[in-house]
Amino acid sequence: MHTPETRTRFWWANLLPWLAYLAMNLLLTRSYGGWNSGVVLICVLLSAGLYLVSGAIRHQALRQRWLEQELIALAWRLLLCVVLGALLVQLVIAGLMRLALALQWVSLPGGNFSLIATLGYWINTSIMLGLWCAGWTGWRALRHARESRIARLRAEAERQQIEHDALRARLNPHFVFNALNNLRALILEDPQRARELVGRLSNTLRHALEHSRRDSVPLSGELAVIEDYLAVEAVHFEDRLRIRRDIDPAAADALLPPMALQLLVENAIKHGIAITPGGGELHIRAERLPGVLRLHVENPGTLGRGGAGHGVGLAYLRHVLTRVHGRFALEQHGDRVRATLEVPQ
Amino acid sequence: MKTSAAAPLRVLIVDDARLARAELRTLLAQIELVELVGEAEDVPQACAEITRLHPDLVLLDIQMPSGSGFDVLDALERVPAVVFTTAYDQYALRAFEANALDYLLKPVDPARLAAAIDKARQPSPPATGTVSGDDTRSALGAEDQVFLRDGERCWFVATGEISRIVVDGNYVRVWFREHSALLARSLSALESRLDPALFFRANRNTLVNLRHIRTVEPSVADGYTLGLRDGGQVEVSRRQARELRERLAL
Repeated sequence: MHTPETRTRFWWANLLPWLAYLAMNLLLTRSYGGWNSGVVLICVLLSAGLYLVSGAIRHQALRQRWLEQELIALAWRLLLCVVLGALLVQLVIAGLMRLALALQWVSLPGGNFSLIATLGYWINTSIMLGLWCAGWTGWRALRHARESRIARLRAEAERQQIEHDALRARLNPHFVFNALNNLRALILEDPQRARELVGRLSNTLRHALEHSRRDSVPLSGELAVIEDYLAVEAVHFEDRLRIRRDIDPAAADALLPPMALQLLVENAIKHGIAITPGGGELHIRAERLPGVLRLHVENPGTLGRGGAGHGVGLAYLRHVLTRVHGRFALEQHGDRVRATLEVPQ
Repeated sequence: MKTSAAAPLRVLIVDDARLARAELRTLLAQIELVELVGEAEDVPQACAEITRLHPDLVLLDIQMPSGSGFDVLDALERVPAVVFTTAYDQYALRAFEANALDYLLKPVDPARLAAAIDKARQPSPPATGTVSGDDTRSALGAEDQVFLRDGERCWFVATGEISRIVVDGNYVRVWFREHSALLARSLSALESRLDPALFFRANRNTLVNLRHIRTVEPSVADGYTLGLRDGGQVEVSRRQARELRERLAL
């Protein structure tokens, strides 16, 4: 935010109010007492001084991050700056005026430059500088509010996009239509299993549609959903899909983000079982360690092979895990790929 | 159903899921004059069975454990009539839509399957009709089709449609219709498979289809410049110019 470019822009923009102030002062001078070289010099010095002091206040405020502080702290800091800044301006003006008068560069209607005048001008200058500070902080606050609103909306849109993509992947058409195709063959071959497949497929689809908006769900519930899903896939892959489960009973009520484990199981099938000739073993392990739930999903395969479609699910996983400060890793172990998920409890 | 051909259409099913194969078997059983000659469940087996059985038509799944249906076609010298089957594969479907290859979506609609079978029956089945089982290394005739794939797009092309084949790095680029595709074969390997009455080695880098030549003009160093029907130009080296004169002479 505090780039050389914005700094240059500020110094140009800041000319505007103080040139306007100068013009107003000169106009007032003319309408009251007519032109006078001393008064004109005072007006010019005043605007130039305030221009520099206001810039210095901004510089100080941004460097010390005053705008991020409490309102009271900001107010009294600015007030102090205004009073001292105005005093500084007036002292410099007084010094320069005395010098200019002594050397007879300019003349004043009164003939000399009194200390009382300096005091009066001080108050006047403070009010001007105070107004400037109010305007500047107001402007900054407005801009900040707008920027943070845009940032919030952008983050929200990004989150919805990720969730939307993950949902679409859950309702994977390839999975659904293969299941229906298998069902049609099974109706003739084994009506009882066909009936069961209808139930399992319905559960899986219903759960995909009723996407949970909660931040975390118990492991036992997630495992039930995964069982339905695996039952459907088992009909498709038959003996190519062998499932081993090691579920720590103590982990049943541990909490994890919704869909996280399912995504890993789906990936294990899609990028492991499905593209390995003869299939293989899918191993799901859940353990409850002190303060953390650790999940492993292991499948035969090679990392990076058949990578298409990996992106959506893993992007979602990383997104939900940052919310709960969890950890996720995907590693090659021999001819198997192991996904590890750790969720703090 | 009209039975123009007395012999049944010989069909091979390729799908990695047993139930999917069973389903296709059930559907095929309801269509007349179709003989199911075999089944395969993965890429290597599919290649072996197609080479061994010479089916008239292959119902080919796209996604299999060791690769895709395209890999099957890539590995074949001569491609039979193929209808792809897929549950849902948006990338592959895009390739089909561009090139009007036939495909069926699973679960397969019986009427659509019957239509695809009819289509395969109509012209004399392109690849296998003229070739006996033991003669797999014979030259490809003008009507034989090859499968070409370049990136996301794929085509079935009769060799007669190919206008020229040009060396491109370690591969060759095949020009046909208004397209071209890169093929991971050597030019001399292709030359030995193509009908020498049809394809002529114009120079070190180029095979040209004689039936696609429109104009022949003399060029530098006693060579020729051939103008092709698709607008392409091919230089004939001096060494080959003599042979071309003989080939084209009445």
